[in-house]
Amino acid sequence: MSEHVNDLPEATEHRLEELEHGLFTSDLSVNEFLLVKEAGFHPVGLVMGSSIYHTGIQTRKWSQSQELTKLTEAMYNARELAMTRMEEEAAELGADGVVGVRLDVNYYEWGKDAAEFIAVGTAVKAEDGVSRRNKLGKPFTSDLSGQDFWTLSQTGYAPQGLVMGTCVYHIAHRGLGQTLSSTGQNVELPNFTQALYEARELAMTRMQDESTRLGASGVVGVRLEEKSHQWGSHTIEFLALGTAVTKTAEAVTLTKPMTIISLDN
Amino acid sequence: MTGPNPSTNIDVAALVRETLSAHTSNVSSASTTSDLSIDEELNLHAIGWEPVQLVSGYSVFSTPLGLWSWGQGEIVAAGEAHASAFRNAASRLCGEASAAGAHGVVGVHIERSIYSTHTEVSMIGTAVRPIGAGRVEPTRVFASDLSARDFSRLIIAGWEPLGLAVGASFVYAPRRSMGAVFQQQTQNVELTNYTEAIYSARELAMDRMQRSAINLHGSGVVEVKIVEGPMTFASHAVGFAAWGTVVRLAGATHRLLHPTMVVSLDDAEVLFDAANLE
Amino acid sequence: MTAHPESADVTPSSFTSGLSVADFAACLAMGLEPVGLVQGFCAMQSSNYAVGAMQRGLSPYQGQSGYVENYQCPHGMVAGEHRMWGQNYEQTWIEQTWSQGFASAYARMLEEATHLGAVGVVGVVDTQSALVGAGVIEFHLRGTAVRLAGSSATSATPWTTYLAGQRLVKVFEAGFAPVSVVASVASVRVWAYCITEYLMGGSGVSAWSSSPSSTEIDQIVRAHTQSRAIVRATAQSQLRGDKLQGVQLTVAQHEYERGDLEVQAMLRGNRVRRFRDYEALPAPQPTVRLS
Repeated sequence: MSEHVNDLPEATEHRLEELEHGLFTSDLSVNEFLLVKEAGFHPVGLVMGSSIYHTGIQTRKWSQSQELTKLTEAMYNARELAMTRMEEEAAELGADGVVGVRLDVNYYEWGKDAAEFIAVGTAVKAEDGVSRRNKLGKPFTSDLSGQDFWTLSQTGYAPQGLVMGTCVYHIAHRGLGQTLSSTGQNVELPNFTQALYEARELAMTRMQDESTRLGASGVVGVRLEEKSHQWGSHTIEFLALGTAVTKTAEAVTLTKPMTIISLDN
Repeated sequence: MTGPNPSTNIDVAALVRETLSAHTSNVSSASTTSDLSIDEELNLHAIGWEPVQLVSGYSVFSTPLGLWSWGQGEIVAAGEAHASAFRNAASRLCGEASAAGAHGVVGVHIERSIYSTHTEVSMIGTAVRPIGAGRVEPTRVFASDLSARDFSRLIIAGWEPLGLAVGASFVYAPRRSMGAVFQQQTQNVELTNYTEAIYSARELAMDRMQRSAINLHGSGVVEVKIVEGPMTFASHAVGFAAWGTVVRLAGATHRLLHPTMVVSLDDAEVLFDAANLE
Repeated sequence: MTAHPESADVTPSSFTSGLSVADFAACLAMGLEPVGLVQGFCAMQSSNYAVGAMQRGLSPYQGQSGYVENYQCPHGMVAGEHRMWGQNYEQTWIEQTWSQGFASAYARMLEEATHLGAVGVVGVVDTQSALVGAGVIEFHLRGTAVRLAGSSATSATPWTTYLAGQRLVKVFEAGFAPVSVVASVASVRVWAYCITEYLMGGSGVSAWSSSPSSTEIDQIVRAHTQSRAIVRATAQSQLRGDKLQGVQLTVAQHEYERGDLEVQAMLRGNRVRRFRDYEALPAPQPTVRLS
């Protein structure tokens, strides 16, 4: 299984070898573990990938709203690297997918423009032996919890991959003359509205493109995050994240939840 | 889980389709506003009650400057300000409820802020009544900080809420003599002046709460909340406040609920919320 | 000003949804198919120093409309800094900024939803945040547009709701149809006159009475009571006989400087229309969780 070429460090290879012999590790809670089993999967190991990335510098025009493509690329590539390394670990374990993926960014004292991008999740494998890998032949990834993973399987959809799109955008400072309109009226500022639309649409569209590449029929659980990282308040990263899903052939009947009153607090 | 649920045979999809196509008909005529969730509204309806209006009450009382920084024993004016602000906020809340034709206010969200120069109390809740019932006197309107869900359960079990009981007391902890401070600097000792002050505040506050419950002819106070400790803005004052909902058995006997035991596979109480989008 | 719905490249079989998996599952059970995440934005200039606030302290604000209340000092000339008059007034321009910003963002979200042929928008989230420093406030609304499974696009205006998942199922089951999300803001400015100022500073009581006691501060009570009444009336005026459920009412008090306060009340809720009477609901089963 471990014959194909990859760039994983030796210690990682060793750690994964132990996992291939039946031991599993997982950061799932007991409830999540039981629900992953309920969905017909078995956890095979905690997998992770990380990348410490130096983000370049890009000059911003004071009074112009624009995308900072260099920073966008850096943010995207760094996450992509961390994700790919995590996927490689999962592939190494013969997993069909990774659930509960968390993407984090850490900043270190020593590098002003350096940041660590981490992806951590639990690799799972279908118990019926049928491959559940995605269209690209890779293990699927998803940020779904064990509970969500089971619920999704009940709806007849299967995860294909964690998809993301990002856009780092510089929002123009206002010139002196524009600081306050003198009429005493509070008015809409169309330039700002337009800039916000553009930045978020770019992030969303990029996320959808990823989903299309996976041949997915949709994206669920989309989250929109806005972060200024360490760039100051006018430069904002707009990040869209979600799990791409496809409809499986299996017919489903959704059971109606029953009404209960909990007497617990 | 136990036996079949009657609701399982409702075809939700067909219901939604029907609802969305028959959009024009509007059965009710009066606009109502409530801060109840749909779950709570259904719970209320199940016991034959309905939400009427979102109501609020607010009061702020001024306390003399310097009140907190010297003296001995109880800081009477501070306790009075707390009691008056609470009473006025509650009576305005019940006044709004009465004007809207309600019999009580449930899920009252109480916010208290105590500053060195003023004490404020804010209450927001949903006025409710038995479906279609007529108006009652403002003095007969009850307020309760129990959620609509808990209120319904209480009613099902044969109890009724009567109002809010509150008690608060603020006590000045005597300063220790310079000699004592100096002697105790390197030792582990109990600061008896503070312990005694908090005990005395507690006894006074709890007694006031109990007395207000008795005045409402209640047989108990449930979900009592307690806030106690030193006042942040005054180094030698401690405070103790307690409040809760006064209840009494409405019928002859308590009715048992006979709950079913379930095992939940959720990790958190509320896992799914649209607010996660943020 | 046009939005850029990403719908151009969305084929009927591909969708995005901001719903959690559980809410997604509940949507499918209701026969509602998510068709896309829809959004609307509006960036508004937001200044406190418009109109009336400019002349703060010089002469009373003459409101064109809205709540205004004047307080006259009972003492006569005492000293230069003695506040001989005070006012509570509704800051209508702030309420207008807010309703205009919210309405524009809402309309743009609906535009995207209409473009996708949606029948409604579920799981709406609205945020207002200060953008790039002071003076600009951004209104952002988003939600998941849904369509009735197997039917063609409708021409009717999509309904909207903050709810999704099982809570929305229950709204339908209880005999309601969602109409729209409703949000409103009320802002009352308080310019304290001498008595309020003394009372806020704790000196009024001891100054006018011999034994220390507490006194209610009427002007502040009025400001709070009015802001809450206004915000509810504004919301109520949009209901036209419908019900507002799941209301959140929050009140914040901000002190700009001594004796200069703003009381802001904000309200959010789901406007729903009753289309049939309550039916007997399945009796819920009381449970205790074995953890």
